[in-house]
Amino acid sequence: MTDDRLTGSECWPIRSRLFIGRITDRADARSFYRAGLMLAASLLCSCSGPQSALDPAGPEAEDVAILFFTMVVGGALIWCSVVGILFYASRKKHAYDAGQASRIILWCGVVFPTIVLGALLSYAVWLMPNIRPGFGEANARLRTIDVAGEQFWWRVRYQNAEGSAAFETANEVRVPVGERVLFKLTSPDVIHSFWIPVLGGKMDVIPGRENHLTLMAEKPGTYRGVCAEFCGPSHAFMAFTVVAMEPGAFEDWTKARASFDGARDAEGLALFLKHGCSACHAISGTEARGTIGPDLSGFGERGSVGVGALVNTQEDIARFIRNPSEIKPGARMPHFSMLPETDIQRIAAYLKGLQ
Amino acid sequence: MKSVIPREVETLWTLFTAPVVWAVHFLVCYVGFAVYCAKALSLHLSFDAVRIGLGVFTLLALAMIVLSAYLAWRQWGYGTGDPPHDAPTRQDRKHFQGFATLLLSGLSFIAVLYMAIPMIFIAECQR
Amino acid sequence: MSIELGNFTAEERAAQEERLRKVWGTPKGLRYWTSVNNSEIGLWYACTAFAFMLFAGGLGLLMRLQLVVPNNNFLSADFFNQAFTLHGTVMMFLFAVPIFEAIAIFLLPSMLGARELPFPRLSAFGYWSFLLGGVFVCGSIFFNAAPNAGWFMYPPLATDEKYSGIGADIWLLGLSFIEVASIAAAVEIIVGIMKCRAPGMRINLMPMFAWYLLIVAGMILFAFPPLIAGDLLFEMERMFDWPFFDVARGGDPLLWQHLFWIFGHPEVYIIFLPAIALMAMIVPTFSQRPIVGYSWIVLAAVGTGFLSFGLWVHHMFATGLPQISLAFFSAASEAVVIPTGVQIFVFVATMLAGRVIFSVPMLFGTGGLIIFVIGGLTGVMVALVPFDWQAHDTYFVVAHLHYVLIGGMLFPVVAGIYYYFPFVTGKKLSDAWGKAAFWLMFTGFNIAFFPMHLSGLRGMPRRVFTYPQDIGWDWFNLISTVGAFVFAAGVATFVIDILRPKPAPSEPNLNPWNSGTLEWTNNPAEDWGMRSVPIISSRYPLWDQPNLQADIEAGRFYLPDAKSGRRETLVTSVLDATPIQCLRVGGTSYVTIVAALALGGVFIALTFKWWIATIICSIITFAAIVTWLWRGTAQIPEAPETDVGLGLKLPIYVSGPASVGWWAMFITMVGDGTAFASLIFGYFFYWTVHDDFTAAAQGPGVVWPITALVLFVAAWGLTLLARQLNEKGPNGARIALVAAIIVTLAACGAGLAGPYLYAMDPTAHVYPATVWIVAIWAVVHGVVGAIMQLYCLARSLAGKMTGEYDQDIRNVALYWHFMAFTAVVTFAVVGLFPLVSA
Repeated sequence: MTDDRLTGSECWPIRSRLFIGRITDRADARSFYRAGLMLAASLLCSCSGPQSALDPAGPEAEDVAILFFTMVVGGALIWCSVVGILFYASRKKHAYDAGQASRIILWCGVVFPTIVLGALLSYAVWLMPNIRPGFGEANARLRTIDVAGEQFWWRVRYQNAEGSAAFETANEVRVPVGERVLFKLTSPDVIHSFWIPVLGGKMDVIPGRENHLTLMAEKPGTYRGVCAEFCGPSHAFMAFTVVAMEPGAFEDWTKARASFDGARDAEGLALFLKHGCSACHAISGTEARGTIGPDLSGFGERGSVGVGALVNTQEDIARFIRNPSEIKPGARMPHFSMLPETDIQRIAAYLKGLQ
Repeated sequence: MKSVIPREVETLWTLFTAPVVWAVHFLVCYVGFAVYCAKALSLHLSFDAVRIGLGVFTLLALAMIVLSAYLAWRQWGYGTGDPPHDAPTRQDRKHFQGFATLLLSGLSFIAVLYMAIPMIFIAECQR
Repeated sequence: MSIELGNFTAEERAAQEERLRKVWGTPKGLRYWTSVNNSEIGLWYACTAFAFMLFAGGLGLLMRLQLVVPNNNFLSADFFNQAFTLHGTVMMFLFAVPIFEAIAIFLLPSMLGARELPFPRLSAFGYWSFLLGGVFVCGSIFFNAAPNAGWFMYPPLATDEKYSGIGADIWLLGLSFIEVASIAAAVEIIVGIMKCRAPGMRINLMPMFAWYLLIVAGMILFAFPPLIAGDLLFEMERMFDWPFFDVARGGDPLLWQHLFWIFGHPEVYIIFLPAIALMAMIVPTFSQRPIVGYSWIVLAAVGTGFLSFGLWVHHMFATGLPQISLAFFSAASEAVVIPTGVQIFVFVATMLAGRVIFSVPMLFGTGGLIIFVIGGLTGVMVALVPFDWQAHDTYFVVAHLHYVLIGGMLFPVVAGIYYYFPFVTGKKLSDAWGKAAFWLMFTGFNIAFFPMHLSGLRGMPRRVFTYPQDIGWDWFNLISTVGAFVFAAGVATFVIDILRPKPAPSEPNLNPWNSGTLEWTNNPAEDWGMRSVPIISSRYPLWDQPNLQADIEAGRFYLPDAKSGRRETLVTSVLDATPIQCLRVGGTSYVTIVAALALGGVFIALTFKWWIATIICSIITFAAIVTWLWRGTAQIPEAPETDVGLGLKLPIYVSGPASVGWWAMFITMVGDGTAFASLIFGYFFYWTVHDDFTAAAQGPGVVWPITALVLFVAAWGLTLLARQLNEKGPNGARIALVAAIIVTLAACGAGLAGPYLYAMDPTAHVYPATVWIVAIWAVVHGVVGAIMQLYCLARSLAGKMTGEYDQDIRNVALYWHFMAFTAVVTFAVVGLFPLVSA
């Protein structure tokens, strides 16, 4: 489950290899332009990263990254020209005639921007329905994942083919590669914003509304998403893991998750139930059916504890159980430091073992 | 045209005619589509009907702006004098107003044209 | 234009100056603070705003320290949230807008050739309100009670009492108070620029600064009221549980976002345009030639003013509105680039056509432009919806907005301070210190903010109090923090340069930069502003009108004397600036401080829900304002006309559209009408978001609203009748006024009867709450209208209002035009729209 991309150190050579692969796939002029631009850009500013909008893993993010790099080049040229003219205007030997000078207002201030902006605007407006297509009926056919942003974690529900809830997980979104997925976004508390930079733009999660966002992953990998709208004390920790999987692997995973059994470690489960954890948390295959907090089935596989606050080791889990709000300010989970240390460690080991 | 619209209309307020046309056009387009997309189910109108209606309205707005530009051109003395119009006379004050109004009409014309771009490329209420 | 200038002997001049000093002098000792002179108010305003800026900058440094390394625990999450909320709030509301009001109040009279702005006491009232509100808002952080939901205060986070505590109330009430002060300043500035220019200063000769300020003040009038309306809804929800933003009861948090950003985006241009206005004064001076493209600047200012109201949804591109709506706002956001580009190229053209002298103001000015252009280009990017879906709410936007505001506002303001420092104190700031400050600020700024573009696109969201290691943000943040401290060192250098003692110049020179505009004729050592009000025949009178300075100082123009013992200034016509009135403005007074402090008391007491204190402060405020009006406005003069010099006699008292008071009322009511329109927008907004917006609840019926409508129209008619009758004699007018008061009060009763008798519960659902709020809005205006009618009756009975001197009733009649409009819209909507929509 480890991916180089998460450690950051070796990411851009890998990305470059991917680009070379791309060129041979689609050897038309446009993809050469795209690949060249992206390669140059990633060399220049090291834009790669598990959460980088400039390191796309899906078509929407890629279109936007291309648009951005094109604008950066154009913008840099414009900026250099303006600075150059300013510099020249303040250093020149002879003053220009006012009528002559005022022509620069018309040409550089009106005509040039009108044309450039008109073209840019037309392209961007044309792009909008292209990268976020579908509406109503068209979206109803897509694979749907319900995501609820809650202070300060993500509730993720997968649906069966027939549209009923199959299983629930938290702070981790898995999607099959090469398939457009519909996210239905809701919030029971405050406004959040659901954002997976490597796949595409964000969409606010607003109480009282169900916002829809469709995204497609093209490259398998493990990425990172975040809440982008300020939502309270632990806004900074409201991240989630995104795993783009090959379709086969994804199907296997959904099957395994739908029949997950959390009762394999009976002793740990007993402690979990005894100390009341199940009032808020559910674990498939057990009598823990709380719905207030995150569903913990498969918790051991997740990348972090406290939604990105800590790495997922047994010690970290124990630390979180002892005093959640010390790690995640404003977390609604009460502290359990009054429990015997052995019980805490045992529950932590149990949770780590839920894989 | 000269006899239809007397010169008495040339006050400080005529400066704002073209931008006001832009503002009204902007609001009508925004509110029109916002209400249509919110109430599409209960309205028996297609998106294209709204599009065409507002397209016609856009042409109307552009015509208004052209009219304002014509009046401004007249106020500017049909371009007989060049800027800067900084003499302390009533005549130059009027020429200045006319020229500024003409420029604003140009800007408003561009801004209304830009408003038409979304109506060309977007064909549904998708979000 | 063959007017013979006055000619006075040395003794006559000394006697004139003695009288002018006596009339315009600033009080000494503690009474100093009762001064209303524009030079004092402007200076206090500027210093206070600057102090708030340093405070907010300090908060910014604390935040940068917290973010210097990943997983830092230098600040707690809660303190960080308070810090960034206050940082944004203070910079926007307590620095950027007030500093321009300060500069406007300070400069405008001198620039326009007026002795004073028309309502000096209103300026003083605005200042004291601003000071009190600002200290209240800033001070809250020392009690750990500062607002902590972001400067945009999105509900439901900001309406959550448990999370936001009293901080949200402090924000809402403290800032509403300051917004009132801003609108007061806008009224002052608009009337000042339209009516108080020197004779001959036609609109094609107005200084660029005045053009910009006129537009900006107009924008304030349309931008701030929606926020005030939003604040009202918000505070009703927090205080009385009216569910405007609570989805469980039909509310919608997006309404707040609309109202906030209808204010919030024009706000950016309200900040930016005055700073560019300073540039438009500086660039011609240092190019030593008139500006090239005067009309283009007018195009740019007016165009930006309008277009800036079509941008607000670009802060809401990710809220899930239909794409077509987003695209419209994207189009307007791109269109606004054009006038902005024009402004920059006007400066470039002026520099090309002149010989540029590169001194410190120019350094800051062009440095600011270079920064601003980057902000403008990233602005073009984020205005494109697909890119904004990625960049929105990331550090990219943090970088963009700081490039725009620091390059487009702070640098030009610093340039303006270097430029105008001799105008204020008679001494220049140091070139060496200025250059050091510039290079520290310029490099520090870029080091601090440029990396944020990259950290943002690498996924770093805004407003996070910490971030994990190894996802590629560490270096960027470290560099940003280092840059922030270099930038702060630059600001500190600048502050030290201002504060350090400076020797008096060996040769006093009123115009050290050889500028061409009128303000440089003023002697900072005297309080009277213009020694005499000149006749203007050029955009740059000091360059083009020979001997102007000497003639002004010798009192050879208008108003060289103050024989009446009152503060007098000229009022001229709007377009061609022909003199029409000798206006007497208010002088030194306690009443403004009392009114401001008491009004502040109302807002502060409301914050803590001290109802009795609220009522007491309200009564004091009311009494203070009535005293102020009664004793300070529409005074019947000792003679109808007065000699203003050069053989010209002008009336002292005018009423109707010729008077400044009428314009002030008109402008205020335009703002008021905008707030009302925002509430009506809210009513229809709820209609669009719900299938059945009444939620099958009981409405106010038809009978009572229509009764109220008819009665309000009748009261309006009676008020107009009173105005007509007053011209013939007092008795008929008094009877009409008594009848009008009775009908108005009946109308108010009928207005509330609908929702009250149908037992509409405003806490149950948003529909009854909306009906109540618009009805209350109309009725409160009705009550104010009745008080005005009563005031006119009292003035008539006291002999202070006669057929000839009828300002009061004319202004009240003007109020009633707006009142009637408000009432008709309100009651037609609440009474009839439910029938139409059903």
